[in-house]
Amino acid sequence: MKSSATVMRKRTLVALIALIVVFCALFGRLFYIQIIDGAELRAKAGEQWYRDLPLKAPRGNILDRNGEVLADSKDVFTLYARPNAVTDKPAAAGEISAALGLKYETTLEKLNSTVGEVTLKRKIDADTAYSLREKNIAGLYYTLDTQRNYPYGTALAQVLGFTNIDNVGQSGLESYYDKYLTGVDGFAYTSTDIAGRELPSSVTRYVPSIRGCSVTLSLDANIQSFAANAVTAAQTEFSSKSASMVVMDVNTGGIVAMAKSPSFDLNDPPRDNLELLNELSRNTMIVDMYEPGSTFKIFTTAAAIEAGVVSDGDTFFCAGSRTVDGQRIRCWRSIGHGSQHLAEGVKNSCNCVFMDLALRLGTEKFYSALHSFGLGQKTGVDFAGESSGILMKEENVKTVDLARIGFGQAVAVTPLQLISGVCSVVNGGTLYKPYFVQSVDSAEGVNVATRLPEAVRRTVSEETSRKMREYLVGVVANGGGSKAGVAGYAIGGKTGTAQKYAGGGGIAQGKYVSSFIGFAPANDPKYAVLMIVDEPQGYMYYGSLVAAPYAGSVFKKIFDYEDIAPTALPETEYVAMPDVVGETPADAVAILEKAGLHVELVGEGEVVVAQTPVPNSMVVKNDTVLIRTKN
Amino acid sequence: MKRRRVDIKTTGRSDVPLIIVTAALVAFGVLMVYSAGSYTAKRIYGTEFYYVYKQLVGAVLGAICMFLLSRTDYRILRKLRYVILAVSVALLAIVFIPGVGIENYGARRWINLPFFTIQASEVSKFGFIVFAASYIGSHEDKITKLVGILPVIAVGGVICLLIILEPNMSVTICMALLMIVMLFLGGAKLKHLAMIIVPLIAAAVVLILVEPYRFARLMAFIDPWESPLEEGYQLIQSYYGLGAGGLFGVGLFNSRQKYLFLPFAESDFIFSVIGEELGLFGCLAVMAAYVFMIRRALKIALGAPDRFSSLLCSGIAAIIAIQVMVNIAVVTGSIPPTGLPLPFISSGSSGLIVFMSGIGVLNGVKRKSHRSVELLFVKPTKPAPSKSKKASKRQRGAARKRLVRARRYAGDSV
Repeated sequence: MKSSATVMRKRTLVALIALIVVFCALFGRLFYIQIIDGAELRAKAGEQWYRDLPLKAPRGNILDRNGEVLADSKDVFTLYARPNAVTDKPAAAGEISAALGLKYETTLEKLNSTVGEVTLKRKIDADTAYSLREKNIAGLYYTLDTQRNYPYGTALAQVLGFTNIDNVGQSGLESYYDKYLTGVDGFAYTSTDIAGRELPSSVTRYVPSIRGCSVTLSLDANIQSFAANAVTAAQTEFSSKSASMVVMDVNTGGIVAMAKSPSFDLNDPPRDNLELLNELSRNTMIVDMYEPGSTFKIFTTAAAIEAGVVSDGDTFFCAGSRTVDGQRIRCWRSIGHGSQHLAEGVKNSCNCVFMDLALRLGTEKFYSALHSFGLGQKTGVDFAGESSGILMKEENVKTVDLARIGFGQAVAVTPLQLISGVCSVVNGGTLYKPYFVQSVDSAEGVNVATRLPEAVRRTVSEETSRKMREYLVGVVANGGGSKAGVAGYAIGGKTGTAQKYAGGGGIAQGKYVSSFIGFAPANDPKYAVLMIVDEPQGYMYYGSLVAAPYAGSVFKKIFDYEDIAPTALPETEYVAMPDVVGETPADAVAILEKAGLHVELVGEGEVVVAQTPVPNSMVVKNDTVLIRTKN
Repeated sequence: MKRRRVDIKTTGRSDVPLIIVTAALVAFGVLMVYSAGSYTAKRIYGTEFYYVYKQLVGAVLGAICMFLLSRTDYRILRKLRYVILAVSVALLAIVFIPGVGIENYGARRWINLPFFTIQASEVSKFGFIVFAASYIGSHEDKITKLVGILPVIAVGGVICLLIILEPNMSVTICMALLMIVMLFLGGAKLKHLAMIIVPLIAAAVVLILVEPYRFARLMAFIDPWESPLEEGYQLIQSYYGLGAGGLFGVGLFNSRQKYLFLPFAESDFIFSVIGEELGLFGCLAVMAAYVFMIRRALKIALGAPDRFSSLLCSGIAAIIAIQVMVNIAVVTGSIPPTGLPLPFISSGSSGLIVFMSGIGVLNGVKRKSHRSVELLFVKPTKPAPSKSKKASKRQRGAARKRLVRARRYAGDSV
């Protein structure tokens, strides 16, 4: 038997060796974790050591063609609270709700919640946030955000569109060009503890955000204001459903102004009433179509001249209606226009003339011309939701349909289609693709993209275009467009008054779309203006009286603004308004036309019962006057 | 074989290298407790010095105990063995008295004193060492028999039972390991030890088969990424710290894991913070310090005046070794996670005082040890001439000489 001391000695040695073996194994394990797995573990650990607060990139600006800001971003603050850090909750709730216009109960409820963090309000303007911050309420935190700011918020509501609370474009150009306008968010990396509290030793590292690109439009903020004022005034004057206006650069297709009333302020969209918001923000000039009526006659005339089916000397007779394929189609003036040359027909806007022209052209030639003007197809404008309008299928067009299309019925166009087609008729024959955005530049000013005017095709010859300008100047000088005239300037144009159809397909009584399309200066057109008043209330519904005056007022302002010199000294000749009350309509028209006035007739009675203006008032020669008849 | 009582002069000196390594580990512990615990302390108690103050108090009290025990005749411990054992068991029982015992993290481990809290199990480990050393020391004839080791197993079993009721699984395991190691060192037959160990393993297997879910939780340490937010969380955080440390560490005080990511960074997982701040080299230095300390303790054990003191010292060495191994094994995911402090370093004043007292006891034994240690256990035999010649060459290194001789005599004995 071994001595117990020897056993102890040996066993102690064994234990020491075992200890060293275990320590070596543990060291091996440490080596594995710290050296072999080290890099991977370090990387994973890094993910929990830092909090990256996003630094919101400001959205790019939207500018007009002169660099005027139409949309930019301003700094706003988001206020949030860490409820358990708020010491005196009722007092804090009182201060906050008073400063931010929130309900006291709701605020207090949020402060009493058990969540780690609660958002109290977003998009607080800088001044309010600073003054609240000076009160040093414990547990409140502010983060910087941006909010869209629209200096022309109401004027451009339908064009620019709005963004959501996260600054993402929701409609209009904000949506169409969202990917350019949206910047790249940056980050602030901060060392934090497990709960996200910043460490005392933390050095915050910034990855700066990149501002979105700025987008320059062909739009002109001043002309846009003229247009916006005009549509607002027109809608107010006629209590119409809406009024809208498009101004286009005749020689590029660039949209210079596009306004609609009623509108809303982009800085405060009615987000709580989605139906209303959708209705108000709808850009009807691009996404909606309407039956154009007489303004469409420009295309019929141009097509007929271009095809050589009519010459200046041709005469047309109007007895108040035409019978086509056994159907009697009435001219707008039931008493008829009598015998007229083409120029007079255009000036009088006589339906019979345009029926004849359409019939002379035949469906094939007429349709080929209409396609060439861009009707029945999308213009390709840089805007979402464009409509292509309606042209009947060519094979379904009967003679009677052809005749109706001739004077702008049985066809639907978008206002944008109409104005770009008309521009091609008057600019020498080139159809341009309409557009809003002419260039996109980075925030540093580096050009990203530039759009040059894009000619789609030739529609008519130079000669036809010249002749059309001449005819259309006649409409404003002596015809239905007289109220669009500006003394001293040559303006061409055409009025339109279309009856609206009710749901069943029949005519809706008393519902009209009154419009005017014009261009100036007439000899070398620069701007085209389309004014549409939808459903003007009351007896005054003619495009010549409802839409033309507003187009004229915009032309006048554009001439001032653009320093366009008058072509002639204004020589205004006045005539005394004859008294025609009690006369038959035919006699009254004869008297007034003899006096050098253009007449619009309301009612189908046999006796004139009222006239505007009153007898003996001085009226500019060639102006348009109104008479009303009753039985 | 009857031990000879030889009245020879004792050394009368403490073991200076042991005191130095102890002081170094305690001082390093205070530093690391500050580094690892300052942020948590600031958040919970409002002052970043909360843990470090407690640790300093523990270090001062521990130093006093260490000094006093080194000046105390260790034989008093033997005389008081039953008192010490009774106090240990009583403390473990008192923990369960409401109002006195403090419940924390779902376990009753602490005794609330007006100015201090005591972790009862820390005291009981040393109570058991004193009891086991005196029993085994004075019953060397019985220890080779199964019946002879039963009293040790019985006392150890009772202490284990009381600790497991707290519950404190990790200290229970340490106690069981300590019991086995002391029996092993005391000379118990290996087959008898096997008779204790095999049933324990069998019981563990049964428990696992009965409750596979508990087993699954226990085994989560094998792949902590399977439950990164539950069972695996703490271990993953420990890995992050160690991995971030790499070879040289991120620098003292620069731990990121201590910012509440790593739970118990200042106590049970302080080794992970050491690994993060000081790297693999720091870990190596700490482990080397422990190996050195344990070796010094075992050396005192081998040179101790009698079997009791020898077993007392090796028992103290064993509990230090066991706790260091288990702690590092847990931190490195080598065994299932369990909460056990790292001796001398982890925050916790009870443990620090008790472990420093243990070093004091070691020094007390050392002071009573004979100058010529080889005379203690063995009959001097006639040395072989060649060997004695060889030995005389090494006269210059006194410490080495003693060890070499001790080994030689051990080899020569019959």
